[in-house]
Amino acid sequence: MRRFRRVAVVAMVAALTATGLAACGDGDDSGDANVLKLWHYESANSAMGIAWDRAIEIFKEEHEGVEVRFERKAFEQIQQNAGMIINSSEGPDIMEYNKGNATSGLLSSQGLLTDLTEEATKRGWDTALSPSLQTTARYDNGVMGSGNWYGVPNYGEYVMVYYNKELFAEHGVRVPTTLAEFTSAMDTFVAKGVTPLGMAGAEYPAGQLFYQLALSRADRSFVNDYQLYANPVDFKADPVRYGAETFAEWVGKGYLAKDSASLKAEDMGTAFISGKTPMIVSGSWWYGRFKSEITFDWDSFLFPGNTLHAGSSGNLWVVPETSKAKNLAYDFIDITLRPEIQALIGNNGGVPVSGDPATISDAKDRRLIENFNAISSQDGLAFYPDWPVPGYYDVLVSGFQSLINQSKTPDQVLDAIAKPYQDGVAEIKRD
Amino acid sequence: MAVPDSVAASRPTTTSPKTPAATTNRRRPDAAYWLYLLPGALLFLLVIGGPLVYTGYLSLTRWSGVGEPSFIGLENYRTLLTDDVFWTSFRNTVAMIVAMVVVPTLVGLVLAAVLFDTIGRRFRPRTAAALRAAFYLPQVLPVVVAGIVWGWILRPDGALNGLLDAIGLGALSHDWLGDPGTALPVVMAVMIWVQIGYPVVVFMAALERVNPELYEAAEIDGAGWWRRFRAITLAQIRPETFVVGLTCTIAAMKVFGPIYALTRGGPENATNVPSYFAYFTFFKRLNVGYGSAISMVLTLIIVVVAVLFIRAQNRAERRDGAL
Repeated sequence: MRRFRRVAVVAMVAALTATGLAACGDGDDSGDANVLKLWHYESANSAMGIAWDRAIEIFKEEHEGVEVRFERKAFEQIQQNAGMIINSSEGPDIMEYNKGNATSGLLSSQGLLTDLTEEATKRGWDTALSPSLQTTARYDNGVMGSGNWYGVPNYGEYVMVYYNKELFAEHGVRVPTTLAEFTSAMDTFVAKGVTPLGMAGAEYPAGQLFYQLALSRADRSFVNDYQLYANPVDFKADPVRYGAETFAEWVGKGYLAKDSASLKAEDMGTAFISGKTPMIVSGSWWYGRFKSEITFDWDSFLFPGNTLHAGSSGNLWVVPETSKAKNLAYDFIDITLRPEIQALIGNNGGVPVSGDPATISDAKDRRLIENFNAISSQDGLAFYPDWPVPGYYDVLVSGFQSLINQSKTPDQVLDAIAKPYQDGVAEIKRD
Repeated sequence: MAVPDSVAASRPTTTSPKTPAATTNRRRPDAAYWLYLLPGALLFLLVIGGPLVYTGYLSLTRWSGVGEPSFIGLENYRTLLTDDVFWTSFRNTVAMIVAMVVVPTLVGLVLAAVLFDTIGRRFRPRTAAALRAAFYLPQVLPVVVAGIVWGWILRPDGALNGLLDAIGLGALSHDWLGDPGTALPVVMAVMIWVQIGYPVVVFMAALERVNPELYEAAEIDGAGWWRRFRAITLAQIRPETFVVGLTCTIAAMKVFGPIYALTRGGPENATNVPSYFAYFTFFKRLNVGYGSAISMVLTLIIVVVAVLFIRAQNRAERRDGAL
């Protein structure tokens, strides 16, 4: 069986890397560490893609004679095959990988990722990143939040409210600062026949809105219970109950469209870009695109009244245990945390994790980063609702589609999302 | 009059008394055949046999995809028996069989007969060929592309609702794929559209080999279109009907691409099917053992259905041969 698995792994890796490696020749990188194999899945024109291209240039300048074999992968490729890839000798020396218990946590618990604790202390990564950001970098037996370092993030992300300033002005709506003002603003739009909040039930936006609503009644101990399994979560009590009931109420009041259950996040984003939707509640990953594609006046504000916000570090640089160039990998991580690279992320619509907002030229971009720094420094990052157990994303999607369709009551939805959570947590604890 | 291949093939062949020389001559090629079969057999073992056995083994384990699987016996199969989503996915498979086998085969039969017997004879054959190609077009499109395009059409602000608005039926506008009540029927309709061309092409090819004198004779005897369809068309193309039935049933049972592209099994599992459920369990929930158990059950059912089909076909051919 083991032999068969090895054959399967080799076949999979060969298939994944066929195009990339074919162009790289047959160089042998064993032992002498004059090659750094680097994989990530950011698009070339994204903030991170731009910043990391520059980081590769700097790395080459500082490591003469070292060849960087960079391959851009698809997110799904890495998500679905990372375990097999880095369990083989064909994997990269450094790779961007998803943060969370079901991904980096799982691989770290199996001994497939290099323990970066010593390097984090030696190179000062532990002081450059706030404790809130370190949550996704550290894992104890596969569970994030504490323990050794198995990854290093160098960008951040958080959920906010994007709004169309022109539609706000047209309908006489002011930027809300409390949840009551927020609902009042939405009432104004509804009264004028405009659906105020963009929604996409077939993907993450519904779950994130529900989580933002739950977080408005939550504190850090709830987040620790829900995300880190500190204590069991009662889905029939606040804040989860409040989140689901308020979501259903908002559907009933017409704050979000009843026919949005089949829409995808892209649909919601493009509806906002085209000026059809006054507001959307979504993440900073839209920011760069909105900046380049929206022609009207727009801006963003934090979800009104919340001290906790869905958000976290971005994905992680991980170093597979099988890496043949670990020191080079550490050097590369170090470069990506330098002010120059962090500023590049910030100036291209991304959220740097150790950036100085003063180095960001655009005022709107600067506010995006200042908001993130404020949330991060006050321990306000509450991660994402689908993180706790593998496969929970689809459970939440299905549950909140039912609320959008009004085919189930909040009580039924809470039952539907409670059981997979509890089963998943039991499974993780059994491991 | 030419004898249809299927009838000829089903007739018992005349056997001659065996001579020692004939026996020797037969043995030599038999041994050579095994040699020719070897590459195929090896490939089968590598590509199908090995993975199948390994999946069977994984279905008896608890495994997240990394590390060592832990053996848990039949626990995954016991869990399957009480898993509502699993049973829902199999109920949806029945719907897929209706959409991908029953309706396309029935409609395809009628369309093929009309194209061949009426359009092909009353108009130019090229007209029938063009119509046949039009029906087959959805089969040429990659299924994911077709799924995405249908997704656009069926969106709340898509072409279908736009059309309903334009003709004054705006009240019927709906989130077709987002409502659990309409998602499955709509997916079924899309699958009928995808599938219909396949039986049409196979049945028209089958009709090409039917002796036209049969139709002419029947027509002279005063048989109408319906009588000719029942007595000649249906009887003559029975082998192809079995082939279409078998291949489409297998396709329906393991359908994945359209579900992935259109609904990802949602909303609320209304369109979930076993292969998508297995994929989701395997890759999203990282429950490789359970995903393997779902795949094994699906494989087993497909094999049983295939065997039953082939037996039924053989029985029908023997019956035809005996007539």
